[in-house]
Amino acid sequence: MRRNLLLLFPFLFALLPLLPLGVWRAFFLDAGLFVLLYTALALSWDLVARTGQLSLAHGAFFGLGAYGAGLLVPHLGTLPGLVLGSLLAGLGALALGSVTLRLHGLYFAIASLAFSEVLRTLALKLPFTGGPIGLPVPPPFGGGSPWAAYYLALAVFLLAVALSLWAERSPFRLAQAACRQSEGVARVLGVEVVRVKLLSLLLGSLVAGLSGGVYAMKALFLNPYEAFSLGRAVEALVIPIFGGLYTTLGPLLGGVVLVGLEQALRLWIREGYLVVYGGLLVLAILFLPRGLLGLVGGRRG
Amino acid sequence: MKGIKWALLLGLVGMAWAQTQVKVGVLLPLSGASSVAGKAALNGIQLAVDEANRGGRVRLELAVADDGTDPAKAVPALTKLLTVDRVDIVIGGLASGVTFALSGPVKQYGPLFLCVGAASSVVEQAFEGYPLFFHYHPWDYHNVAAALTFFQYLAQTHEARKVAVLYEDGPFGSSGIRTYRAELEKLGYQVQAEPYKTGSGQFTPILTRFRAFAPDILYWIGYDVDALPIAAQTRQVGLRPKLIYGAPPSWPLGFEKNPLSEDVVGMTAWLPSLRNAESRRFLEAYRREYGEVTEEYFAPMGYVVAKSLALALERAGSADKAKVAEALAGLRMNTPFGPLAFKPSDTGKTRYQGFGPEIWFQFQYLEGARRPVFPKDKASRPLRYPGSYYLR
Amino acid sequence: MELLLQTLLNGVLMAGVYALVATGLALSLGVVGIVNFAHGEFLMVGAFLSYLLFASRGVDPLLSLGLAFLAAFLVGALTYYGLIRPVLKAPELNQMLLTFGLSILLQNLALLLFGADTRVVAPPYQGAAFHLGPFFVGAVPLGAFLLSLALLLALHAFLTRAPLGLAMRAVAQNRLAPGLLGIEAEGVYLLAFGLSAALAGVAGVMLSVMLYASPTVGFLFNLKAFAVVALAGLGNLKGVIPAALALALAEALVSTYVPGGGGLVEAVFFLVLFLALTLRAWRQA
Repeated sequence: MRRNLLLLFPFLFALLPLLPLGVWRAFFLDAGLFVLLYTALALSWDLVARTGQLSLAHGAFFGLGAYGAGLLVPHLGTLPGLVLGSLLAGLGALALGSVTLRLHGLYFAIASLAFSEVLRTLALKLPFTGGPIGLPVPPPFGGGSPWAAYYLALAVFLLAVALSLWAERSPFRLAQAACRQSEGVARVLGVEVVRVKLLSLLLGSLVAGLSGGVYAMKALFLNPYEAFSLGRAVEALVIPIFGGLYTTLGPLLGGVVLVGLEQALRLWIREGYLVVYGGLLVLAILFLPRGLLGLVGGRRG
Repeated sequence: MKGIKWALLLGLVGMAWAQTQVKVGVLLPLSGASSVAGKAALNGIQLAVDEANRGGRVRLELAVADDGTDPAKAVPALTKLLTVDRVDIVIGGLASGVTFALSGPVKQYGPLFLCVGAASSVVEQAFEGYPLFFHYHPWDYHNVAAALTFFQYLAQTHEARKVAVLYEDGPFGSSGIRTYRAELEKLGYQVQAEPYKTGSGQFTPILTRFRAFAPDILYWIGYDVDALPIAAQTRQVGLRPKLIYGAPPSWPLGFEKNPLSEDVVGMTAWLPSLRNAESRRFLEAYRREYGEVTEEYFAPMGYVVAKSLALALERAGSADKAKVAEALAGLRMNTPFGPLAFKPSDTGKTRYQGFGPEIWFQFQYLEGARRPVFPKDKASRPLRYPGSYYLR
Repeated sequence: MELLLQTLLNGVLMAGVYALVATGLALSLGVVGIVNFAHGEFLMVGAFLSYLLFASRGVDPLLSLGLAFLAAFLVGALTYYGLIRPVLKAPELNQMLLTFGLSILLQNLALLLFGADTRVVAPPYQGAAFHLGPFFVGAVPLGAFLLSLALLLALHAFLTRAPLGLAMRAVAQNRLAPGLLGIEAEGVYLLAFGLSAALAGVAGVMLSVMLYASPTVGFLFNLKAFAVVALAGLGNLKGVIPAALALALAEALVSTYVPGGGGLVEAVFFLVLFLALTLRAWRQA
């Protein structure tokens, strides 16, 4: 059942432009694009959380990727700009990770949050980032193809799923779980804790950076407060917890349901839809402690 | 032969009496940071639409969507309006960053886009060259120009020489700061400017530093959440400017009843107490429809946008967006803000710019109410300079 | 020199409110063991109560303080009983999601009921200040500081003298043992969580006078409270005051002495926090 679901979603999203959705197609593609990006972000968060590092810096990685792409795409083109933006996020991750190796749990979370806030201020103050007024970003491939952004988002999503699956299915999973559960024991067992933690953080940040870059090219405009938003960092962790931690299917399901639900709720219940959203989160935790995966069945990592 | 003539005549008369029916998309922030302005604008739009529908010559149907003050929500919502609801005419765009993001779907689907807000001039870049873009709200450089006119008056008539500027470090507060500095210095002012984080409520350190500078005018550019802390801490710190002048997009509820607001000056485009006939008519209609009075200037702004659209539809006699745009381009109309006519913007990037710096005026909190004080043709009371906070 | 002393004074006064909010958070973290993202909403409850009483009956916020304490305590106790108790044994991340969902729920409920407008109260002493020689001290910040100090001292006395308070500390130190010793952990948790909310509610009233009341007023202070708690050491109640002082003083010094410092205050706040956390971790190893 799980493997079927796992294949279903990427398949569905890949085929979305071709499905007979009639007039709703454009809307589904636009909404779907953001679902893909936020789900990729959530997957990248989960990847890092598997080592016990609760990151609140994913908002910063997203922002670094966004600004990197925004600054470099006009000079280097869409794909190189995106990749370099993502590498910028990776650099940030290495900087953060190497300094915070000995921090755990909530301490790590708060340190990563502090890191994110400092970066945002840098984006605000540095002269070449457009400062507080913001930075316009060109659309992908010069705006030639209207579906380019969607396919880019799909590519990022598939990359995130692939990385997450690899980490889940390979011996890396055990290394990550060992780090999460007890670093001391992990070391004794021969796990290179430092490498595992840094690698996870790096991979997670690269994906988050790519999501940020594609987001920038769809939103066409960046502003430090929005790009490095704390709200996004929190959403990155809400989705995996809601969906089912330390798995690939969990954040995937969680992302599709939560982000999709939010778009739908906003169309239906115009005012107060966020009250319903908050209520749903609360109910979910009370009745589905293992997240949505509790409904689908199967072991938790 | 005669029969045909009569048929033709009847046909023409019938066409003139036929209603122009159109579905209009409305995309505004009904949740998120700009929701107060968004809801006010929606009220104004709804009022104008109801009036136009009652008039019988046009029939407007609104398809309303919430943009959540977030590009990730706004872009799919606009796409839905344009593809599922199939509207050709959209009223929207309040927050500048979101409006920039909307330029994507707008350019893709080509609707007639009537922009209610979006003051940041970066948005001019986004829509440059797009033929069906009508921008009603003044651009940020217009706001700066209006404030500078007031500063010039203060320098000439009241011999103000020193101004301390407190600006929030986001796009709203920072966009004009360089221009302000340069132009104020040209007017003969000594300028000290400091950034701050909006909502933090901690102005004591900066205000203490300003005390040594002893400014004549304390000018702050921020949001409603900063109004009270600045007024309170200015007093607490012992800073005594001759004028406290604030430029937030709106002021907190209950501030006018707060003694700390006395003699504080602000800038706005509209107040319920304005004396022009259009404003009075709008206020009466609003009161009848909603049972209350609004202080938000986005309500009459939304009203003007929708009303101008209704008039253009009437003149064009059709719902075809190109014809409506043409009618709108040639429209001249009186509004609660003053006369409206479209012309290219100062930078030339916007072909149809509605209002300019002339709609801004300065008001002062006097005896628990906001009263226009400058320019003279809009003033209902003289400016009290220096304010009571100086004369303590 | 004068400027330096004034700056330090401003910082100390601010630290009082930070300490009050952070102590509430430290209580729920240390005793109940829960990361409460909705703590800022308890602040909001206090702020709104103060505004509503003022706007409708003209009640001075000073009188609302006691009411806010009780009202917030009640809200906190109810929240604990209905929502927190079921997830006490759940993993930390689940608890975080729950309180986060609660935070969204409460914030948007307030938005729905009251709208997003910023509201202010107008007690007569709002702009008053005392002049002590060349120094200025705002009446309201001073009052807030003294009240925070009083509340924290009372809390300290409670935790070190009263049997319930001692029980709370026992529970904070070891969650299993008190059961063996016959202390009813349930009641202690309820009390601790309620108290944490009550402290936030009182701080909320102070904020309504110093800043404003709105559905989002709690957010920034909550964030800073988390930073203070992290700096102090999670669950370390005694460390909260020094941590709050350190951060508030850093803020005040940067604001005053660094050109353009007003915009850097947050970054400095978090930079100090970041450095302190990482240095401490390296030193411990």
